[in-house]
Amino acid sequence: MGFWEIMFEQFPYFMPLLLRGAIMTVTVAVGALALALLLGLVVALLKMSPLRMLHGLASAYIEILRGTPALAQLFVIYFGLPDIGIHPEPVTAAIIGLGINGSAYLAEIYRAGIEAIHKGQIEAALSLGMTPTRAMQYIILPQALRMMLPPITNFSIILLKDTALVSVVAAPEIMFFARNLVTETFLSMHVYLLAALIYLCMTIPMARVVAVLERNRQAWQ
Amino acid sequence: MFDLVDIYRENLAAWLPEMVQACFGTLKLAFLSFLLAVAVGLLVALLRTSANALVRAIAICYIEVARGMPALVILYIVYFVPPQIAPGVKWLALSSFTAAIIGLAIHGGAILAEIFRSGIEALHHGQKEAALSLGMTPAKAMAYIILPQAMRIVLPPVANYSIGLLKDTAVCALIAAPELMLRAKDLASSSFQPMAVFLLAAALYFVMSYPLALLARHIESRLSYSR
Repeated sequence: MGFWEIMFEQFPYFMPLLLRGAIMTVTVAVGALALALLLGLVVALLKMSPLRMLHGLASAYIEILRGTPALAQLFVIYFGLPDIGIHPEPVTAAIIGLGINGSAYLAEIYRAGIEAIHKGQIEAALSLGMTPTRAMQYIILPQALRMMLPPITNFSIILLKDTALVSVVAAPEIMFFARNLVTETFLSMHVYLLAALIYLCMTIPMARVVAVLERNRQAWQ
Repeated sequence: MFDLVDIYRENLAAWLPEMVQACFGTLKLAFLSFLLAVAVGLLVALLRTSANALVRAIAICYIEVARGMPALVILYIVYFVPPQIAPGVKWLALSSFTAAIIGLAIHGGAILAEIFRSGIEALHHGQKEAALSLGMTPAKAMAYIILPQAMRIVLPPVANYSIGLLKDTAVCALIAAPELMLRAKDLASSSFQPMAVFLLAAALYFVMSYPLALLARHIESRLSYSR
């Protein structure tokens, strides 16, 4: 049988499973993004703290997480934590692993965004009698957010692609179902091409969004 | 009671030589796929900036597709698919190491092509026009005028890409390419000490990637001064 005959025959079987995987892929990506957004902000603020100790801790956190593969971090969390009596579920391990990994990247994005705001802005806010927290909240962050939106969206594309890794900790996402289907049917080309197609349907539109955001940012500056 | 120090005191002498040896596999994999990715990236960047719309479209398709999917998917396709569609053809059944180099280079070629393109496009057209009006052929203008200047612009992002690549080689363990993560997986299951083994593996990756990160920062600060 030719490629397309097999594809037409198997499509109704493959697609629902792969799409179920895609829902899990999106769930893990969204969960990890939420965790990374929160944790990254904390780390960025610590890194900009005037206290040497906090700055050092945040720097070490960022350097270590960015200097090691996400896969190694996932393995430590999923296979390593049981050694000390913690047994995370696959999906929890996936979200925590990718979320912690992402927080280091987001911390740097936040910091770059905040530092790109001119010093005069915060000085003006403080001289108007705002507390540093308020100045951050009302003056710096809203402006910095506009600067940060394109890199954050770009990061979410990378995160979405990185979720393919979590199939190895048995989180049932696209590649997990794909591998099972290949073991079952031996149709590696058909399965992996469909899996690739599903990823492309998600990442290419996101890349377009980044391009538009980037243009808007340049226009705004 | 779980005590990392004790575990390392007992096993480090046995684990470390094995894992350091596997690091060389990782470095070799990263280096070879970097070279191939630079070659692919340069070629695709030139096609991407070509005057011919069809050539440009092909380059764009390649970039969007190869960048849009996870490296893992590309690795699986390169490693598992050719032996299935052409079962008798020996040279298509790649070893896991070769498949890893090619897979990472296909992914990296697309990323580098975009980096190179942004470098080429960042130069003022005046440069190219001046070169052409001096009687250089377009190929010569590219080789002597555009590329040398563009290289300076692209060096920092290329250095960053190489750090990402070094870490991405870990994924190749999933097609059983001989590198650090694969060795770590084997050791973890034979020793029943996954936490200790994977932390050690992470530390070794850090030792390899941190100097690259420092180099990238150094290049970035040097180049931003000279402009």
